Amino acid sequence: MKVSFPYMGSTIVYKKLFEFLEHEVIMPPKPTQRTMDLGVKYSPEFACIPLKMVMGTYLEAIEKGAKVLVTSGGHGPCRAGFYGDTHRNILKSLGYDDVELIIFDAPQDNWKAFWRNVQKIRNGVPWPKVINRMYTLYRFVQKLDELEKMVQKIRPYEINKGQTTQVWNEIQEKFDKIKTRKELYKVYEECKKMLLSIPTKEVDEKDKIRVGIVGEIYVVMESSINFGIEEILGNLGVEVERSLYLFEWINDNLVPWALRPKRFKEIIKKGQRYIKILIGGHAVETVGHIIDFKERGFDGIIHLMPFACLPELVTQSLIPKISKEVDIPILSLPIDEQTGKANMLTRIEAFVDLLRNRKKGRTKEVFVNEFQQHADEERVVVV
Amino acid sequence: MKIAIPHALLYYYYFPLWDTLFRELGFEVVDTGITNKDILDKGSKAAVSDICAPIKIFTGHVIEGLEKADYVFVPRFARIKKPEYFCPKFMGLPDIIEGTVEGSSGRIISPIIHEKNNEDISSPKIYGILTEIFGFSHRELRLALKKAEEVFLRFKSLLHSGLTCDKALESYRTQRWEEDLKRVKKDGEVTIAVLGYVYDVYDSFISMDVIKKLEAMNVNIKTFEMVPTDIAYENLRHYRKRLFWTFSNRVLGAGLFYLKDPEVDGLIHVTAFGCGPDAIVGRFLQYESDIAGKPFTTLRVDEHTGEGHMITRLEAFVDMLKRKKWARVSHGI
Ligand code: SF4
Ligand code: SF4
Repeated sequence: MKVSFPYMGSTIVYKKLFEFLEHEVIMPPKPTQRTMDLGVKYSPEFACIPLKMVMGTYLEAIEKGAKVLVTSGGHGPCRAGFYGDTHRNILKSLGYDDVELIIFDAPQDNWKAFWRNVQKIRNGVPWPKVINRMYTLYRFVQKLDELEKMVQKIRPYEINKGQTTQVWNEIQEKFDKIKTRKELYKVYEECKKMLLSIPTKEVDEKDKIRVGIVGEIYVVMESSINFGIEEILGNLGVEVERSLYLFEWINDNLVPWALRPKRFKEIIKKGQRYIKILIGGHAVETVGHIIDFKERGFDGIIHLMPFACLPELVTQSLIPKISKEVDIPILSLPIDEQTGKANMLTRIEAFVDLLRNRKKGRTKEVFVNEFQQHADEERVVVV
Repeated sequence: MKIAIPHALLYYYYFPLWDTLFRELGFEVVDTGITNKDILDKGSKAAVSDICAPIKIFTGHVIEGLEKADYVFVPRFARIKKPEYFCPKFMGLPDIIEGTVEGSSGRIISPIIHEKNNEDISSPKIYGILTEIFGFSHRELRLALKKAEEVFLRFKSLLHSGLTCDKALESYRTQRWEEDLKRVKKDGEVTIAVLGYVYDVYDSFISMDVIKKLEAMNVNIKTFEMVPTDIAYENLRHYRKRLFWTFSNRVLGAGLFYLKDPEVDGLIHVTAFGCGPDAIVGRFLQYESDIAGKPFTTLRVDEHTGEGHMITRLEAFVDMLKRKKWARVSHGI
């Protein structure tokens, strides 16, 4: 089967998954302006940006020859759970009758359908092999995430601008070629050395700035839609950590509840200080991570959300309050197809300046969120 | 003791229930009144700028309520029908209010409504916090709820008999009740199903009184509240999976019901600026109307929509329906 999938974050992992199941993989192209335009053109106007981007990606993957698109249905009370059906609807109305969209819903919703899907993508590969390879993939994700976290700690201090990013690209290429667990561990060690050999400058602990990135999963994980925010921050000399890494996501969502790391439950508990019940999407986690980052000594938070994202609007409503009570500056950035990179850069730079001043004790100010300022300036009535 | 019930969101559906409940318990109930420019401005200023209009309006009503009463009622709707939920903003409503309305902390009364299957939301479990905060006995609460439920069921039966929400609310307030069924308009030239959440259709800042305007054009009105829940769901049976939001399902299900109803000539989907769930509801309604071959249009009012422009659009739509109907009748189909 010529298989493709949505583009989000570490796509080499999904590619590996289907290679392990002996499919022909049609790599979806990294989203560009064209992807966005296609997605916007064929999606309902008021759908959220991830739905549109994924729509665009599907269309581009189909152009490249994909016949089967595989995605997760998503659970929980938000639109993500309905992406699959909306996409299917649109594909059908565009006349792509020969393209199949396989949607994986949470197994407990419908065991039979889930099993049918599994059988379809298992592609006849014998079970022992599948299990063995899935375990390799699990470790693969873990190692890749570890390296990425290193990248985010090295990039801000590199001496030769751009070197870390270059090494990171090489690492991803190397990982792309991995076939067995043995290879994985070997490549991992090599890559680690590569990263550690990047020349960096000494920076005093008190001059280091750390920013946590929180928010909705797609815009946090996919760099083409958040303008490569981690790189931007790294180049500004800021260490970054995301609230979400694929490995943790797998542990939080696919591993049985009892075996999940305690971390997840703790984050939820922290988040419930401000949002009392789970409301869908990642809102409670977002709040939990803000508090967690603060407790771990981070200097500031960037909150990414798709424009008009339902649960994240609840988070956004609480940001001024949280920022004040928890005492940490938070910059909230809604992203949609009209967001310009230049505008985004200016806001991020201003934010980093503020963090530096704050660290040096020049200002005690907690960031007044820009979205708030906008609202105040314009006093717009949008009805 | 005064408690304000914000005249927004599900007020339009549950007011008779809550009003009765609080009165029975000895509260003075303050209705924050229909949305006006002042309330709207207050809400828009306090709320985050990108949030949907209904939440901004609700926020304005809460601020109004805090000025006029000791407490404001801000229920947290999580679920009334398993396995569905409410829009995340309903689920986080008290959190949103605490985050954006200064001085609301400690003065909003927020029971959690999380029911397996109970649209009538009158179980004592939900309102237990009233006994904790105000010291009522469980017996008092139970008796008040019993009364409230009776009133609500009577209100609902008016809806099912064809009264629109605003008229049924009036029947409740004036205690004219079933007498008002005489006022249901049945003699219009065409019939239109006006589909949308109650807080969109009946808030004049969101819908510009679309129902009154249509009635003035000699149109009979159908709305989703007139379709009993089980019938609405019956019509959703062929979907692989339902929407996540109960009221979205009811709107969609009612839409599908009306598509099959030969009396209904066309559909209008009323939606608010910035509504997420409606992106999907609208898409499905459009798709299904195309298949059924019934005219469909979307009404979304924003700050640029002039009243004149809207009337022109509605007139064009109604004229088209009338022409179509006339053609059908004269061909004897
Ligand atoms: S969480 Fe946000 S982005 Fe995701 S489906 Fe819901 S509204 Fe869309
Ligand atoms: S359903 Fe739509 S209009 Fe209602 S609160 Fe949610 S986003 Fe706003």
